[in-house]
Amino acid sequence: MRRIALAFWNPIVAKEYRSRMRTWRSPVAMTVYILLLGGLGWAIFSSMSASAHTAFNQGQAASFGQGLFIYLVLFQMVLLAFITPALTAGAVSSERERQTIDLLFVTKLPSFSILWGKLLASMSFVLLLLLLSVPIFSLVFLFGGIELDQLLAAFLVTAVAALTLGIIGLACSTAFPRTLPATVAAYGAAFILLAGSLLFGLLFPTDIDPNATRAPAPPAVTYMSPVLPLVTIGTNTPVTWYGIRNYQGGGFGGSSCSSAGPYGPTTCVPIGPNGIPIGKGGFVRTPPQPYGTTIPSGLFSGWQYWQATVTMQLLVSLAALIVSAVLIPPIRHLPWRRTKPIPATAAAVE
Amino acid sequence: MIAVEGLTKVYGRRTALDHASFEVPKGEIFGFVGPNGAGKTTTLRILAALLEPTAGRAFVDGADVIQHPDRVHERLGYMPDFFGVYDQLTAAEYLDFYAACYRQPRVRRKKIADDLLELVGLSDRRDQAVDTLSRGLKQRLCLARALVHDPAVLLLDEPASGLDPRARVEMREILKELQTMGKTIVISSHILPELTELCTMVGIIDQGRIRATGPVQDVIRRLTIGRRLRITVLGQKEEAIAVLKPLSAIRDAAMVNGAIEAAFEGDEATAAGILQTLIAAGIKVSGFSQLEGGLEDAFLKATSEAVG
Repeated sequence: MRRIALAFWNPIVAKEYRSRMRTWRSPVAMTVYILLLGGLGWAIFSSMSASAHTAFNQGQAASFGQGLFIYLVLFQMVLLAFITPALTAGAVSSERERQTIDLLFVTKLPSFSILWGKLLASMSFVLLLLLLSVPIFSLVFLFGGIELDQLLAAFLVTAVAALTLGIIGLACSTAFPRTLPATVAAYGAAFILLAGSLLFGLLFPTDIDPNATRAPAPPAVTYMSPVLPLVTIGTNTPVTWYGIRNYQGGGFGGSSCSSAGPYGPTTCVPIGPNGIPIGKGGFVRTPPQPYGTTIPSGLFSGWQYWQATVTMQLLVSLAALIVSAVLIPPIRHLPWRRTKPIPATAAAVE
Repeated sequence: MIAVEGLTKVYGRRTALDHASFEVPKGEIFGFVGPNGAGKTTTLRILAALLEPTAGRAFVDGADVIQHPDRVHERLGYMPDFFGVYDQLTAAEYLDFYAACYRQPRVRRKKIADDLLELVGLSDRRDQAVDTLSRGLKQRLCLARALVHDPAVLLLDEPASGLDPRARVEMREILKELQTMGKTIVISSHILPELTELCTMVGIIDQGRIRATGPVQDVIRRLTIGRRLRITVLGQKEEAIAVLKPLSAIRDAAMVNGAIEAAFEGDEATAAGILQTLIAAGIKVSGFSQLEGGLEDAFLKATSEAVG
């Protein structure tokens, strides 16, 4: 128990809080964050009020609420994707640059505590930003269309994504001796995680199998991005618009889809490279359609999108944390290297 | 207290440390002297368990630096050759932070910080931001930081570099005080005069090799060729040199700055015999003293041999 308490109680956290909050940067960052998020919220709100000349009916208000919510959660995610790597990418490398890290290594603090302390301090700041945004999100409840559990799930996804970006930044900071390359690498990793995984879904979508018993789902890699679950949580509808395509057996092709209403079932007709529908004229294949917000098939079949994202990101975080913990000690006892000291050679003994 | 056995560190193709061995008994102040890039910092970093040696072993108070770095860190205060200071912290908070890192109980930390600020003469600066302190004061604060867990051994890497003469004298006074507290201290330096009167032991290192090690006077005696006499006489300088030169113990005698300096080989009895001979020859000797060779001579001797 005492050991656990010692692991959590960390002088680095207290020191980081002190030095972070004594600079002008933190209040400025918080103000800019709130202004940007609030500004977006206000802009959407006012454009909606302008478009609705008369009173909202209930359905309109709910769809406006959903729209506002999706814009806000996505923009908040983008803002955090810019802020979080900056918070942690310099955590260890700046100590190296200031040459203060040796002073920490010679104390009784285990090297992992240094990482943990830095992470806890940075993540507390992210948590503070998330808490600051709560009043702006309360705007959504003016319209309705979003339940509290949707808001909580969206915040969980955002927080876990920020934690992942933070830990990746920390790993970069540990792996690179200088802050500049560490920061570049951290932003690169953030981009791959958030946008690269989505791009993967566009480039290599799941092929629709007309004979399948289950509806197709985007490839599992794309769940890494928090964008998919955030949109799914907001719209409360299945993903039919991304990461799926008809199999064309090579060559360029596509599909011609007709949709019955905005959220109704979509019927797709495969089209060959010459633009003529494949198969007998008028024959329409209707593969199984997804329903609800669960992933219909694949590795995470039956999970909610946000559950898959949170799980995958936590796994990435764990891996990055292990890498950091292996890389940080001044004398690395890597498993594949000898741990026993080499005895003095004969020349030394003489 | 400190034992280094055949320590070797190779960086790529450059050998920074080449089978260095020495020992420092408890309570000694060990001056680790050598030109820049000789391997002093490498040795100290290995002793502080911050660097893995390529070969060899090192012990601090019986604890192997590779096997038990935790035990080494408990017993060791390390002050690197740069100021590791954080912005936005006051001197007292800075010490409190490191005391917490050394797991000192919260109730004791304030007293530790106050006592150490008192020891290094920074009591009136306790609430000043660390990054606004002058170089000399930062250096003293870093020394205080190395002492927060009351270690038995102190490793000080170039503690006086970049300090003005006054700050250097103050640093020396603090180190003397620490010596009376019974601490074993290793000081590395490339500036010799600051070490001569402070250290009880010395190790001379050059190009990664230990050239000489032992008590200061032993090393000086071993390295300076023979011993020198400074003789002042009333008039009769030529006669005195004429008397001295034929003596078998005298290797050389010449006028230096109005006095005769003579190199001789032998012990105290030989020196007494030389004085008796002069007096017997009717020379009026007004001054007769032995010149102590300095650490500087010894150092130059040791390092020039290496170059030659």
